[in-house]
Amino acid sequence: MSTDWNALSDEAFRAETRTFFENEFPGHFKFLPRRMRWAECRDWYLKLSKKGWIAPNWPREHGGMGLSPTKLLIYFEETERAGVGRMPDQGITMVGPTLIRFGNDAQRGHFLPRILAGDAIWCQGYSEPNSGSDLASLRTEAVPDGGDYVINGSKIWTSMAHDATHIYVLARTDKAAKKKQEGISFFLVDMKTPGITLRTIRNIAGHEEFCQVFFDNVRTPKENLVGELHKGWTIAKGLLGFERLNIGSPRRPLQAMEKLEALAQARGLMADAAFAERLTQLKLDLADLGSLYGRYVDKARRGEAMGPDVSMLKVWSMDTYQKLSELLLEAAGEYAPMEGEVSFGDTAIDVLSPFYNSRPGTIYGGSNEIQRNILAKYVLNLPS
Amino acid sequence: MAEQSEHAALLAQSVGDYVQHGADLPRVRALAQTRTEFDRGQWNQLAEFGWLGVMVPESCGGLGLGLAEATIVAEGIGRALTPEPYTAVAILAASLLDGLPAAALRDELLAGLATGECLPLAAWQEQADDFCGTQLACRALPFEGGFLVSGEKQFVAGAAAADGFIVSAATAQGIAMLWVPRDAAGCGVKLRPLADGRSYGALMLKDVAVSRAQVLAEGDAARAALDRALDRAAVTAAAELVGVMKRAHEMSLDYMKTRVQFGKPIGSFQALQHRAVDLYIQQELADSVLRDVVRQIEAGADAAARGLAASRAKSRCGDAALAITRAAIQFHGAIGFTEDCDVGLYVKRALMLASWLGNGRAHRARYARLSAQVARKEAA
Repeated sequence: MSTDWNALSDEAFRAETRTFFENEFPGHFKFLPRRMRWAECRDWYLKLSKKGWIAPNWPREHGGMGLSPTKLLIYFEETERAGVGRMPDQGITMVGPTLIRFGNDAQRGHFLPRILAGDAIWCQGYSEPNSGSDLASLRTEAVPDGGDYVINGSKIWTSMAHDATHIYVLARTDKAAKKKQEGISFFLVDMKTPGITLRTIRNIAGHEEFCQVFFDNVRTPKENLVGELHKGWTIAKGLLGFERLNIGSPRRPLQAMEKLEALAQARGLMADAAFAERLTQLKLDLADLGSLYGRYVDKARRGEAMGPDVSMLKVWSMDTYQKLSELLLEAAGEYAPMEGEVSFGDTAIDVLSPFYNSRPGTIYGGSNEIQRNILAKYVLNLPS
Repeated sequence: MAEQSEHAALLAQSVGDYVQHGADLPRVRALAQTRTEFDRGQWNQLAEFGWLGVMVPESCGGLGLGLAEATIVAEGIGRALTPEPYTAVAILAASLLDGLPAAALRDELLAGLATGECLPLAAWQEQADDFCGTQLACRALPFEGGFLVSGEKQFVAGAAAADGFIVSAATAQGIAMLWVPRDAAGCGVKLRPLADGRSYGALMLKDVAVSRAQVLAEGDAARAALDRALDRAAVTAAAELVGVMKRAHEMSLDYMKTRVQFGKPIGSFQALQHRAVDLYIQQELADSVLRDVVRQIEAGADAAARGLAASRAKSRCGDAALAITRAAIQFHGAIGFTEDCDVGLYVKRALMLASWLGNGRAHRARYARLSAQVARKEAA
């Protein structure tokens, strides 16, 4: 089996990751204000893959690093410190953990190595034009036909679908089910299948990161049904647990904090006591997010399912990210609306991108308002 | 916790029993109304449980355990609103004495502390916000092999029942820790009543004679022991705050489930649900930080890392407890503003615990100071 990274001291592991990310991640892509396209990050993905570092969160027996919460945090801190860009990572963060937990041996044997090797790039087919917060009302349909299921419908807000080779899809398989959550199934679909078309959607920052995907009689073999037929909602919920864990990681807020501290330094803002107090409060919010995140990473490592309480991690993480991005704009003064990198002495900082990049986090993966509804109902057991 | 020690598991069980049966709010109310914050019988019981000696070394009759176990007890003490000065004596004074060089008097005080027979308190602070006790106006001048001590100490929690004080004073070697019995000539104790029915003691010392044997430590050893004890006490106070906030939020949630207005339980209204959820997130954040910080300190953090960890715990837990207990008044409506409503007892205890040993603002300032220090050291 691969190296047991957890056996290393924290300091040694930090030194090793720091050296690697600083020296190996291509300089011209450092601190990119948007997600990386596959063509841009393919070499980097393969380099990480070859080193055995592409899946820090997966167990070692499946080709991951199996990092402890502390080590995983160090890994993220060092990627952010070095300005490593965000790649199309759905396979690593979502599909892998789901197949490990809900898939069968054949699916694991087929897909996991391909995700690690960068041969399969995944996107998520959940939201529909009329099913956002009320995801269980989805209408994309899958009907059995011979050895296949035939899928019709449309998915929207599908991040990086234009770079993906595969999509995982929630589709209705039993329209007669009593509850809308019943009769939904979970499918894996090859994006090259005839009948799939997509259009890209430009986001508020002007980047084309998400798409609408159309399914017109798209056939996927029955082997690509994950878990039981009609039980896809359970898997989706389990997967949402992983998604909330992933969105809840301090990774992105850390990135904003790096910029904020650099800007505060460059503009000498720490001499302003009111600003210093707010920055310290956010530093603590971020450090404390690390403690909360560690609790859930521990749980995931023990192989436990994420309960509804993981929603609070997402709420706190994304609220913190937004607060950081807002203080960054405030710290920038008149520079706030400037697009691209702004020079402050010898440091160049993109002050605007974190503001844009932190907006969708409170909307996708279940809006923060939906998360609060979930916590009120299933964790605090408040009446409806 | 997955890797809980056997001791911790046993303690957790006895703390669970205590919270159920040991403390009752009528007693807390009665003590507050009569301004007698200390019940000898209750204190003896805490000693019998072994809780007073949780940090006292086994050689002095204690359990010789660490912060993990101390915080389990403290969370129960907070939840039950026990008014006796648990953290001030069993953590702050015990940890301070434990960190001082071995000596007959030190061992005697530790042994008495564990049995409950002696109630020593640390008296180190003179100015508000200076919870580390660095501004020392209190002086000890050499006198007949010992010292003559003069000065004032503030914010001594639990002073009502104290048998004596471990006083910090400036000497030629910087700082000394001196034992001053409560009835020493020239030692006056003034009690200032607090919102939660307890009191802070103000110590007035005028030419108090301290013999050589009463000098517990001098110089760097004294400073290091005080810093270590104060960080441990801040984390334990944070644990008490977690107990306070959890019980207070439970009361709010229970009330929201039963109080009916507009024909529905008020807990069904989304505006209140989201508010309750945000406070619950603060509670769980506080709980996670506390556990993480205890783990870090127990793993042997150096002084700077320990200070950062302690300030993180005290500021988060203090502010969360204040927010949750304040909101409990609002959730309960007018009844929440009455003296009869138990919610008020939690509000007042949160007020006391959040400010004692440094409030959120003061700990954030220290966190900023220490982080800058660490960053400078790393850069060098």
